[in-house]
Amino acid sequence: MRGINIFTEFSQKAGEKIDPKSIKIDDTTLRDGEQTAGVVFANEEKIHIAKMLDDIGIHQIEAGIPAMGGDEKEAIKKIASMGLNCSILAWNRPVISDIQHSIDCGVDSVAISISSSDIHIEQKLRKTREWVLENVRNAVDFAKKYNLYVSVNAEDASRTDMEFLLQFARNARDAGADRLRYCDTLGIMDPFETFMRIKTIRDIIGIDIEMHMHNDFGMAIANSIAGIKAGAKYVNTTVNGLGERAGNAAFEEFVMALKYIEAIDLGFNTKKFRGLSEYVAIASDRSIPTWKPIVGANIFVFETENRVRLYTADHRNYELFDPEDVGLETGVIIGKYSGLFSLNYKLTSLGYNFNENQLKELLEIVRNKAISLKRALFDSELIDTCNSYLKD
Amino acid sequence: MCADNINKEINIIDSTLRSGEQTAGVVFSKNEKLRIAKLLDEIGIPELEVGIPSIAEAERETIREILKLNLNARIFGYCEADPNEISYCQDCGLKNVVITVFTSEGHIKEKYDKNKNLLLSKLKDTIREIKNSNMNFIISTEDGTRADLELILQIIHIAQNKGAMRVRICDSVGAFDPFKTFLRINTILSTVNFPLEVHTKNNFGMATANGLAAIRAGAVSIMTAVNGLAEGTSNAALEEIVMALKYLENIDLGIDTKRFREISEYVAKASSRAIPIWKAIVGTNVFAHESGIHADGVLKNPKNYEAFEPSEVGLTRQLVVGKHSGSHTILHKFKEFGIDLTDSEANEILALTRAMSVDLKRPLFDKELMYIYKDYLESKKNKKEDVEESD
Repeated sequence: MRGINIFTEFSQKAGEKIDPKSIKIDDTTLRDGEQTAGVVFANEEKIHIAKMLDDIGIHQIEAGIPAMGGDEKEAIKKIASMGLNCSILAWNRPVISDIQHSIDCGVDSVAISISSSDIHIEQKLRKTREWVLENVRNAVDFAKKYNLYVSVNAEDASRTDMEFLLQFARNARDAGADRLRYCDTLGIMDPFETFMRIKTIRDIIGIDIEMHMHNDFGMAIANSIAGIKAGAKYVNTTVNGLGERAGNAAFEEFVMALKYIEAIDLGFNTKKFRGLSEYVAIASDRSIPTWKPIVGANIFVFETENRVRLYTADHRNYELFDPEDVGLETGVIIGKYSGLFSLNYKLTSLGYNFNENQLKELLEIVRNKAISLKRALFDSELIDTCNSYLKD
Repeated sequence: MCADNINKEINIIDSTLRSGEQTAGVVFSKNEKLRIAKLLDEIGIPELEVGIPSIAEAERETIREILKLNLNARIFGYCEADPNEISYCQDCGLKNVVITVFTSEGHIKEKYDKNKNLLLSKLKDTIREIKNSNMNFIISTEDGTRADLELILQIIHIAQNKGAMRVRICDSVGAFDPFKTFLRINTILSTVNFPLEVHTKNNFGMATANGLAAIRAGAVSIMTAVNGLAEGTSNAALEEIVMALKYLENIDLGIDTKRFREISEYVAKASSRAIPIWKAIVGTNVFAHESGIHADGVLKNPKNYEAFEPSEVGLTRQLVVGKHSGSHTILHKFKEFGIDLTDSEANEILALTRAMSVDLKRPLFDKELMYIYKDYLESKKNKKEDVEESD
């Protein structure tokens, strides 16, 4: 596409340095996160989440949809008036009355959102491309009169014909929009395609781009990174990846991937990640899977022999960051895949001191126990096993 | 683009029964292992890694029974590169084995006393045992993405000379993104032409994307686990890899995806790890729509908000009624109940529904919608009576 040699480009981007100051996170837990089927935050919860995100160092919070009125509008008004360090953005359709609601709330930024794909324009909106462009122009024009920062969101951008997407972006830019949000509404992009499309828009239109990627095929984080590599400056995230269907790019995963894989440290207080995730998990009534990347309770809990041995010798052998970096703890449990080293390590921590032969015998006992119980052993069971062994 | 990669033979080796079971705290019973092996075979997974023979006699017995099932899938055992391990594999009757070497600097320091030659000699000695037993083998490079590239190339040369099926590159700490994965695989393959397999991890949420990037770069096989089950964070999830290959890369492996939800549920039960409702591909919420815009779009045409039909993975579509619902959802829901609302009725009921949902902090059940409707009719009747009385 347009003379981009994807293989060469992709390889060259593998180790490229990007200035951390140029990358901004716009978290939409309170808008797209709450839009998840079944999730409703109380206003107090919204306010608390906004404070926590601000405290961590977030750049922008998408606080909700003022045009919904009622409680929703009240919450946005409150969040915009709390004196947070971050920017507060509100979501709108390209409708003047929607933007008027946002202005009422006192936000500094607005997103003006409309579908750009033909399938959405024809089958959902039942309008034309021209209608879409005109409504965006009018809405941006109106918002700019109030000196708002304006993001124009291309919903279903991934399925939008590239020529029209460029026209859509140019239309937004010329109307005075500050950035274009690229919405992978169905989560159907892979990093290669993402990279090519974002690079094309950047090269030809030059507008700032924000990535809004869904996780339907498990690619939200990788696609957000591909966008950054292609020149996007903003990424739209949600805590725990909360969002419609399979969710959005998870805030904590993206920030840590930037820091540890891309060497882009945003300077956020990551130690508060587990606390934030727990709070959002409770408010959204969706508990954190124990294996969830970055904040899952079990990701630093090891059972297999090699992992315990190599991790205890040097943490970097199995993890790129430490549990404390995200507010977690580490642990060793004993089960079917334990070996002599891990068993000794664990039993020493429990105050025992066995020789190698004893450990070999105990290992067989505990492995068989784990197999018959179909789980790892509790510390109390281990202690009991050791004491019985010593008696015999 | 990349037309040369499309329709290429891509292999899946599923390791739910080995790497998946290594999850801290997870143990499958023999019956569960047999069932999972059968299920995966039935849907057409070509290769299965089923366990570590040296762990215990019980494990060997399970492996023997899996072999007795005479599945179409090729069955692999797994062990470290240690000549003593091979007799356990033989004892089970295994014909195929994955042998692991620890390849990054930190791993070599601990496992081979900083001695790369010890690694290579152990590998060669183990291969000699394997050849004596007439087994096929894959060499797996633990922490291979962080290993010295020269060492990986050396290992591939050994694999080539000794007739290994493939070499597996493990991103054991999830240290790579798709760009780095692509570069690494591409670099290896531009030096030596040998079948490569990848084992990607989800430490930073990129296991599936990295698996796809490896395929784009020319790798021919991906190691997966159902639900991504693994120690720490996840492996590349079988269901995500298969569907992503099909829908994002146009590579249809011909696997019976309609049984994905069933298999995910079985593994979830057996591993005592419930499937999050938002789990990509198989979560019950991935075809649930609440917000006005989305629900309306889906009602007009599911393709507006769905990349594939829910039945394709054994799920069903749901319309959830709550705070973000729009009037179209209300009209549609009541039509299902056999009630045709007017637009103005739908709008009034929508307002009541949203208020109730905000108050309850959750979506509403169908019954609750009916209660709202009855209350609404009553209040309308009362209003009418009021009006009549005042006349």
